[in-house]
Amino acid sequence: MQTHLTGKSAVLAVVIVLAFFVSWELYLRHKGAVPDYDDGPELWAHTRAMVYEPSDKATVFIGSSRIKYDLDIPTWESLTGNHAIQLSMVGSSPRHFLTDLADDTNFKGKLVVDVTEVLFFSMRGNESPDAGIAYYKHRTPAQKVSFILDKPIEARLVFLNEGQYSINAMLGKLHIPDRPGVYPFLDFPPGFEPVMFNRQDVMTADFVADTNQHNQVKAIWALLKGDPTPPMSGKPLDTVMLSVKRDVDKIKARGGDVVFTRTPSNGFFLMAEQHMYPRKAYWDRLLKETGCKGFYYADYHTTADLQCPEFSHLTPKDAVVYTKTLIGLIAKEKGWVHAKTADNLSN
Amino acid sequence: MVFNSYTFVAFFVIMLVLHNLPIPWKAKKVNLLIASYVFYAAWNPPFILLLWLSTVVDFFVGRALYTQPNKNKRRLLLVVSLIGNLGMLCFFKYGGFILENFVHITNALGLDYHPAKPNIILPAGISFYTFTTLCYTIDMYKKKSKPVKSLLDFSLFVTFFPHLVAGPIVRPPQLVPQFETEHKATRQQLLDGLMLLSLGLFMKVVCADALLAKTADTIFGAGRPIGPLDAWAGVLAFSGQIFFDFAGYSTSAIGVAMCLGFILPQNFLYPYAAIGFSDFWRRWHITLSAWLRDYLYIPLGGNRQGRFRTYINVMITMLIGGLWHGANWTFVAWGGLHGVYLWAEKALKDSRAKTSGAAGDGGVPEPIDDGVAPAPVIATASMGPDLTTKRPAGFLYALLTFLLICITWVFFRSATFGGAALMLLSMFGRIPPAGPPVLTTAAIIKVGVVITLMLAFHWSMRNTTVLKTAGKMPWWLTGTIWAVMLILIILSQETSKAFIYFQF
Repeated sequence: MQTHLTGKSAVLAVVIVLAFFVSWELYLRHKGAVPDYDDGPELWAHTRAMVYEPSDKATVFIGSSRIKYDLDIPTWESLTGNHAIQLSMVGSSPRHFLTDLADDTNFKGKLVVDVTEVLFFSMRGNESPDAGIAYYKHRTPAQKVSFILDKPIEARLVFLNEGQYSINAMLGKLHIPDRPGVYPFLDFPPGFEPVMFNRQDVMTADFVADTNQHNQVKAIWALLKGDPTPPMSGKPLDTVMLSVKRDVDKIKARGGDVVFTRTPSNGFFLMAEQHMYPRKAYWDRLLKETGCKGFYYADYHTTADLQCPEFSHLTPKDAVVYTKTLIGLIAKEKGWVHAKTADNLSN
Repeated sequence: MVFNSYTFVAFFVIMLVLHNLPIPWKAKKVNLLIASYVFYAAWNPPFILLLWLSTVVDFFVGRALYTQPNKNKRRLLLVVSLIGNLGMLCFFKYGGFILENFVHITNALGLDYHPAKPNIILPAGISFYTFTTLCYTIDMYKKKSKPVKSLLDFSLFVTFFPHLVAGPIVRPPQLVPQFETEHKATRQQLLDGLMLLSLGLFMKVVCADALLAKTADTIFGAGRPIGPLDAWAGVLAFSGQIFFDFAGYSTSAIGVAMCLGFILPQNFLYPYAAIGFSDFWRRWHITLSAWLRDYLYIPLGGNRQGRFRTYINVMITMLIGGLWHGANWTFVAWGGLHGVYLWAEKALKDSRAKTSGAAGDGGVPEPIDDGVAPAPVIATASMGPDLTTKRPAGFLYALLTFLLICITWVFFRSATFGGAALMLLSMFGRIPPAGPPVLTTAAIIKVGVVITLMLAFHWSMRNTTVLKTAGKMPWWLTGTIWAVMLILIILSQETSKAFIYFQF
C-alpha cells in the first residue's frame, strides 16, 4: 500500500492547473475580456513616487473616479509633452491626497484637483486614500520587487482581474439575495472599468455600445440615492474649506500651483448634485476661499453638452474632447502647459 | 518578505538552485545565512542590525555561561543576556504601552504629565527571535545542552529564514545539529515540502485572506451594536482567519525548510478538535506553549508547590502569554480568560480524580514531542480521558471548547474593552442593533461553509497528519486535491497581505 506522496501526484497537479488556466484564459478572451491592472495601493504607490518630477515636466491629478475616465492621458501627453501623473481613486475624496502632497515638502509641482461634490465635501471616502498613502509611506523593498514582477504578468493575463474574476468577485456576481438594508455587492460590468498602467480607466467599445450595461451601472448609482446622509454644511463645511485652503497655500508657498476642475455628469446624478450641492455654496466658495482657478465643464461649449453613458463618466472618445479643452484652458489661464493649439482647444 | 508574494517565489527558486549546487557545505550555510538576512532585510533593512546584535551577544554570552565556573559571574552573564533580549523587546514592543500606562497612573494621581507619543516601529518577528535566543542562553546557564561551536551555525539557527519572522519557535537541539552535517532534501522531502507549502499558502491566501478576513474586519470595525447573526459570523470568521493565517504560515515554513532538507517542529495539531483547554494548548502554537511551560511555568514552580501555587502559576503563565501577543490589555484579558478556563478545567479534573482516587495533572500544557516527526497525538483528553473514543460525546465537547475559545478571540481581536463588550453584547442579543444588518448573504454563507469544513477536518484529522493522509490516498486523488488548492490560490488574487502574527 502506498504510504507517501508520489511524483505522479505532483505531475498531475501541474497538468490540471495548466489545463485549467489555459482554458479559463481562452474562454474569457473569447467573451471579449481584456487584460488590465489591479488599481490597488501598489499601483497607486508606484505612481505617487513620480510626483517629484520637475514641475514644468509633469502635472499631478487628484480626484475621484471621474477624472480617471475623463482625462485621456495619451492625449494630454502627446499634445503637451507633459507627464500626467494620475493619483485619483475611485469612490474616494481627494482631500487626503491634497493634504499628503501639501505636507510633503519635496512636492513643488502643479496639481489639478477634480471635484465630485458628494465625495469632496464629505467626511467619507477616505479609507482607500489613507490605505494608499500608508502603503506608499511604508513600502518595503520586497513589496517593490513584487510589484516589478507582478505587473508584466498582470498585463498579459485576463483572469488576473481581481474586480471581475477573483473568487470573491465571482461569488458576488451570483447575486444571492441579501437581507433588507444590507449594502450589496456592486456588480460593475467588466467593460466599464479596465484600468491602464497609467491608472486611466477606459470603457471598452463593447460597453459604450451596450445600453443594458449602461443601465446596470446606473442601477448601482441609484443605490446612492438611498443614502440618508445630508450634504455637508455649517461648521464641518467651514472646516473642510479651511483645510483645503491651508493645503493649497502650503503648495503655493513652495512654488507649486493648484487648479480645480468639475468634470461632466448628467441625468439624475447631475440633478441630485445641483440640488444638494448648489454651485454657489460649494464650487464658487471653494474657488473664492482658496484663490484658485477653476474649470467647470458647463462653462465651456465644447464640454457643456458631453454625455456620460451611465451619467457619471465619459466615453474614451469624449474624454479626448474633455482633455483637449482642459489643456487649452490650463495653457491659456495658467501657462503650465504649452500646446500649439491651446487657443483653439479651449474655444 | 512574505511567503505569499512574487518576491518570495523568485527568492525560493533561487535558493533551491543554490542549495543544490555542488559546492562545500560551509559555502551552502553561508549562502543560507546571507539569504536569511536578505529575507529579513527585504522588510526593513536597518532592523537587521538588531538581529546581528542579538545573535552576537547571545553567542558569546551563551558560551561564557557554559564555561564560566564562578556562580556569581554566571548569574551576572545571565542577567546581561536577559536585559539585552528582554530590554530590546520591551523598548520596541512595549515602549509605547508602558509609557501610556505610566501617563494614566500619573494623571490618576493628579499629575499633569502628557509626553509626546513615541513613534516606535516594531521590528518584524522580534518576539519570535527573542524567545529563540533566550532559550539558548537559559539552557547554557542550566547546562542543559552544549554551546554551539561556530558563530555561523548559531547565526543560522537564529536567522534561518523559514522560522525567523513568525516561528515555529525552535530550540538549539532541534536545529543546530542539522547544520553540522550536510543537508539536502531527498526527492520525497522535496515533494512533501512542496505539498506543505501549497497547503500553507492555501490556508493563508484562500481561507484566511479571501474568504474570512473581510467579514471579520467589517464586523470588528462596525463600531456599533449589531445583530447576533452578524456578530457571530464575524467572530467565527476571525476564529477561522487567525487559525488559517498562523497555521498557514507555520505549514509554509515547515514546507520551505523541508524543501531545503531541514525539519522544523510542528506548531499546530488541529487545535479546534481539542477537547478541553489544556488539550487546546497542546495543539495551538505548540512551540510557544512548550516554551512558556519550560521557561516560565516550571521555573515558577509548576505544579510542584501545592494546588494554590499551581493555580497561580497557571494564571501568571497565561497572562504573560497573552501579553507576548501584543502590547494591549485586551491581549492580557485574552490570556487571563484562557487561564480561567484552565482553572475550571483543572478544578473539574481534580474533583473527578478525588472521587475516582486518581491524581490530577498540572493544568498547563504537558510536554509534547516537538522533534523531527509530527508529534504523537494526545491520546487522552483533559476533560474526560474516555471522551475521545466516544465520538459523538467527544465531538460535542470539542464543539463546546471551540465556542468558548471563540469568546476569547473577541478580546484578542478587539482594540478596546469597549469594543469587546459591544461585540459580546451583540453576540448574545443583549443590545439592539443600531442600524441595518451588515453582512451580505454570500459573506455569511462563506463563513458558515468554511468554519463547518474546518471543524470537520480538524475532528477527522485529529489523530493523523496531512502527509500521512495524503500518502494513503490514491495518487490521482492527491494530485487533483493539490491542483484544486493551487487553482484556488491563484483565483483568490489576494495581494501579498502580511501574516497577522508578524505584528507579534
